[in-house]
Amino acid sequence: MSNILVDLSNSLAAATEKAAASTLLVNARRRMPASGIAFAPDLVLTADHVIEQEQDITVLLPDGTKAVAQLAGRDPGSDLAVLRLDEKVHLTPAEPAKQASIGQLVLALGRPSDTGIEASLGVVSAMGGPLRTPQGSIDKYIRTDATPYPGFSGGPLVDAEGQVVGVNTSGFGRGVVLTIPADYAWKVADQLARSGSVKRGYLGVRSEAVELGEAAQKELKRKQATGLLLVSVERKSPAEAGQLIVGDILVGIEGQPVPDHDALFARLTGEVVGKSVRMEVLRGGKPQVFMVEVGARP
Amino acid sequence: MKTTAMLNAALDELLERIRPVLALVSNGRHGAGAGLLAGDGLVLTNLHVVGRARSVQVLLDDGSSYDAPVIAKDPDVDLALLQIPANGHPAAAFSSSRPRPGELVYAFGHPWGQRNVLTGGVLSAVTSLRGRHGDVPVLRADVQLAPGNSGGPLLNAGGEVIGLNAMIFGGDQSVAIPASLIQSFLAGARKDRPREAVL
Repeated sequence: MSNILVDLSNSLAAATEKAAASTLLVNARRRMPASGIAFAPDLVLTADHVIEQEQDITVLLPDGTKAVAQLAGRDPGSDLAVLRLDEKVHLTPAEPAKQASIGQLVLALGRPSDTGIEASLGVVSAMGGPLRTPQGSIDKYIRTDATPYPGFSGGPLVDAEGQVVGVNTSGFGRGVVLTIPADYAWKVADQLARSGSVKRGYLGVRSEAVELGEAAQKELKRKQATGLLLVSVERKSPAEAGQLIVGDILVGIEGQPVPDHDALFARLTGEVVGKSVRMEVLRGGKPQVFMVEVGARP
Repeated sequence: MKTTAMLNAALDELLERIRPVLALVSNGRHGAGAGLLAGDGLVLTNLHVVGRARSVQVLLDDGSSYDAPVIAKDPDVDLALLQIPANGHPAAAFSSSRPRPGELVYAFGHPWGQRNVLTGGVLSAVTSLRGRHGDVPVLRADVQLAPGNSGGPLLNAGGEVIGLNAMIFGGDQSVAIPASLIQSFLAGARKDRPREAVL
């Protein structure tokens, strides 16, 4: 019997085989191993939370050979980590997909055992972001209804062509499994491979979201329902050096509104570390601009 | 025809092929399971569906019902073989190709006693489970199964049998006994079966 259903089935199996050639087993914890994605010939991208030991990390290559790996870098904030292989191994790097769309067919893959690749089928259920994570933030995320079987963390979510849509992880807690989109994950992985960590911006303030009255919005000349009231400014912090004081309401950074903590987090990426950024605040109800040189979060 | 319409037509065709070879197997004590017509009046099911019964009730899609003796068992792979009269019943087609993780699969059975229910997913893994006498090769699939699916087929997109659904494992992941094991069980049972007298 040959028909469109058989064709679809064959392409899903082919997509699985293609991505399986870049999906590894990552053994860096005592309980069951997790998964990883070859993202360069000698580099493996995986989830940070599955790396429970920084020594004696091994990976199992798609061809069944075992290799020793070193931790090249880790970023608990995005739950991503990069391993560098010891031996002269030549991995087949996975191809990142251009973009994802809600409703598209996806396969979640993992290699938690030496018996072969494992797969589940679903669709992209939702996309969103930025998202605050227990130890940082990610710019964006994907949710899927493909079942995340045990050991799938660090493995890829792939499209019907076998290209990687993102990295699956259960590491953000509360039993939620999210997919870190490939373009973002690859960017983080590049930084981790180069410098071992991901820089994040630091201001040295504590803040809470407050409502902006009509008068304040009139002064701002835009509609913005909330801002961030600075409730403390740390000594010798970038915020203090930039003349920010307790009682200021932060409403914008670099011309972009900052209505809540998520928006502030999203602005404080590694790219702004060491740079002077325009902070728009309401002081005494009047808008003012201060230049603040963003520090690096310790 | 639109892609979705073509997919639906292909699924209808698959159902048409599999419906006549699916049986309902009941041992008269607890819930029923499924069974699969394998030719010559042989009906495959799971041993745990049959239990200790020497004969069970087999109900076919055409409404006919039989008191079927259990003629072979293999507790290591949870398989049992039943015999009904070989009245020209159709037989299931087994796949001879290698199962591929990621391929579409369908489970067909009677979950919670509801007749002829099809659930779909993909083949998750070609792996093994530790049995009493060593590892038993199994297929794992992310299809929804419930009691009553046991003994029913796991099909590929072409409607060929790639396994017999045997249990529910780790939430909604199913475990099926692969076609290769089923066929060696069948071959063994056929060889051992007393030949009918030729008069």
